[in-house]
Amino acid sequence: MTEPASVIAIIAVTAITAIIGARGVRVARTPADFLVAARQVPATLNASAISGEYLSAASFLGVAGLAMLEGLGALWYAVGYAAGYLVLLAAVAAPLRRFGAYTIPDFAEGRLGSPALRRAATAAVILICGFYLLPQLKGAGVTLQVAVGGPVWIGVVVLGAIVTFGIASGGMKGITFVQAFQYWLKIIAIAVPALVLLAVVQHPPVTTVTGPAPPTFSHRTAVQFPQSEVISVTTTVDVAVSGHVDGEPRRGPLELSKGRHTIGSGSTITFPAGSPAPHVEANPIMTGAAWTSPLLQLGGRPDHALAATYGVLLATVLGAMGLPHILVRFYTNRDGQAARRTTAFVLLLLGSFYIFPAVFAVLGRMEAPGLYTSGQTDSVVLVLPRIMAGGMLGVVLGALVAAGAFAAFLSTSSGLLISMSGALSHDIMGGGVRAFRMSAIAIGIVMTALGLAVLNISINVLVGWAFAIAASTFCPLLLLGIWWRRFTWIGAIGGLILGGLASSVAVLLTIVGVGSSGWPAVLLSEPAIWTVPLAFLTMILLSLATPRAIPADVTQQLLALHLPERVRLPSAVDRGLVSQPGPAAS
Amino acid sequence: MTAGQTPTRQVVRSQARRTGGRSSTPARDDLYEPDAYGRELLTSLMRAQGGACVTVLLPALALLALYPLLTAIFPWLATAQLLGLPLTLLILGGGIYPPLVLLGYWYVRRAERLEQQFVELLKER
Repeated sequence: MTEPASVIAIIAVTAITAIIGARGVRVARTPADFLVAARQVPATLNASAISGEYLSAASFLGVAGLAMLEGLGALWYAVGYAAGYLVLLAAVAAPLRRFGAYTIPDFAEGRLGSPALRRAATAAVILICGFYLLPQLKGAGVTLQVAVGGPVWIGVVVLGAIVTFGIASGGMKGITFVQAFQYWLKIIAIAVPALVLLAVVQHPPVTTVTGPAPPTFSHRTAVQFPQSEVISVTTTVDVAVSGHVDGEPRRGPLELSKGRHTIGSGSTITFPAGSPAPHVEANPIMTGAAWTSPLLQLGGRPDHALAATYGVLLATVLGAMGLPHILVRFYTNRDGQAARRTTAFVLLLLGSFYIFPAVFAVLGRMEAPGLYTSGQTDSVVLVLPRIMAGGMLGVVLGALVAAGAFAAFLSTSSGLLISMSGALSHDIMGGGVRAFRMSAIAIGIVMTALGLAVLNISINVLVGWAFAIAASTFCPLLLLGIWWRRFTWIGAIGGLILGGLASSVAVLLTIVGVGSSGWPAVLLSEPAIWTVPLAFLTMILLSLATPRAIPADVTQQLLALHLPERVRLPSAVDRGLVSQPGPAAS
Repeated sequence: MTAGQTPTRQVVRSQARRTGGRSSTPARDDLYEPDAYGRELLTSLMRAQGGACVTVLLPALALLALYPLLTAIFPWLATAQLLGLPLTLLILGGGIYPPLVLLGYWYVRRAERLEQQFVELLKER
């Protein structure tokens, strides 16, 4: 199907982003740019910008999609994404702003005085941003597929190309105003459709959502299969088919018998009203009681749900502080107090946003059970407006969510690619605009290719992994670096390597299919529950074992972190508190 | 430290404050002395700030960790309904955010007050 209104909305969002960006200042990559911004940006605008960069495909599409698929317990992801800012506020925001380093590798080297640690932190930046970029690409694929039709990979390649070209040409800027605009676009694009759909919903939700039976089609429904799927039919049903069923071309009525069937890609099956919705074989069907459980159920299965819930909470709450593309934004705050006020306001903006994915998840289970059949729950936010609201209203709301979704991919993937290219070109290739552009192109191509490999994994699960790796590396580095005197660079490197390796290996094992149930599934797919303590313990024990590596200037570094600006000397640099900018500083 | 090699890092600080915000607080020099007194001041500041940090994070931790634990212990809580809607939806779909936001604002005020007290303590010397 082709939705011209959605296509126009997507193109408009891309064009507006490019135009606002092109008229603004250069992307904030040098301290001077931050100084310019720091004089002008009030806390509310800054908070909008941080939220705009933070709300990614996972928040806009993924939370609703995963909650529809695995039950309301998946809303813990959203809670964790927001609650992470409380930890960031209380433990990190003001000290990090006061320290004056504007990337995590800068902080690590400045605080602990080790170039080797800087390189380890750079590697972690690339790893985390890479894992975070994949779901953005998949989200773009899903969005373009709903709007234009055709296979998902087209959208992945299109977004990969737009962002890579935009960053490499310097035409897509991460300036504050663009990101702030994107936040307000995103919340309007999800709130307005959600409220309108709540107004048009026809029967009390709770009966269909909490009932014992699997969800049923409330009216005659045509289900489209963009990808080939194996579905499980619970009761024999008379359907109308156009496409391939069990390998044979079919057109017209068919008795779909109880059992499993393979549906070819591009097929359409029309189910009668009142029939239970079949489900993709890989995702077990959930009763209403299981679906409304407040515990996170991996793949819809109830094993070790409490451990899985805590795993997701640890990853999301502690991972939020370790996202490199977000932390950079804190330096547009005027001082430590402004950083705190900004962060508190971000918490309000995020909390307001995350009400709406929950609305979409509930409405999706009631009104769009066909998404369980086609395995397309990640697109619930995109398709629900047209399923529930007919005519012009559905078209307009559909275009609005498509625009909001594309804004989410554009803002987040631009921020991520800038962070990755900046880290790679500055710390590994020796700096310079040319190195930055070449890094952007190389990373863009590699990430797009990798993005094609993970199309079957839920957007939100992919983002959860990026958070798990961040929580197992940068969270202990920041917390111990800010609050613990006896922290040494040897402990920091050990923890970074062990935490980063353990969490990313666990995630990779899950992707290739090791451990599909029981404890292995929980411990590998929600690794934060053991890799975060592992990273903390490694850093603490190694630091205690190497007291001679405590920096000689530790008191001054801690003062630079914690002293309110009002009682500082005019320039901390003069006092040797922090390293002088080299003469070659670009 | 690597002074000569790569342009490592520099302090990003508002120009406005650097030129205009020179308050006359003689005692602040003590903070930079590498003697026991400077270290003592730092310890007291970090203790106060760390205390504020813990007092805001503990209630948040309790809120986030206890709800899943209670529903695991009391299964009826997992399927409870309120006003015709699942309790899960009311809490995870919105109800959990206002307390988190309020804790955040409370912390901001508390941290600013602590800093004010610290500055006044320095002035008294």
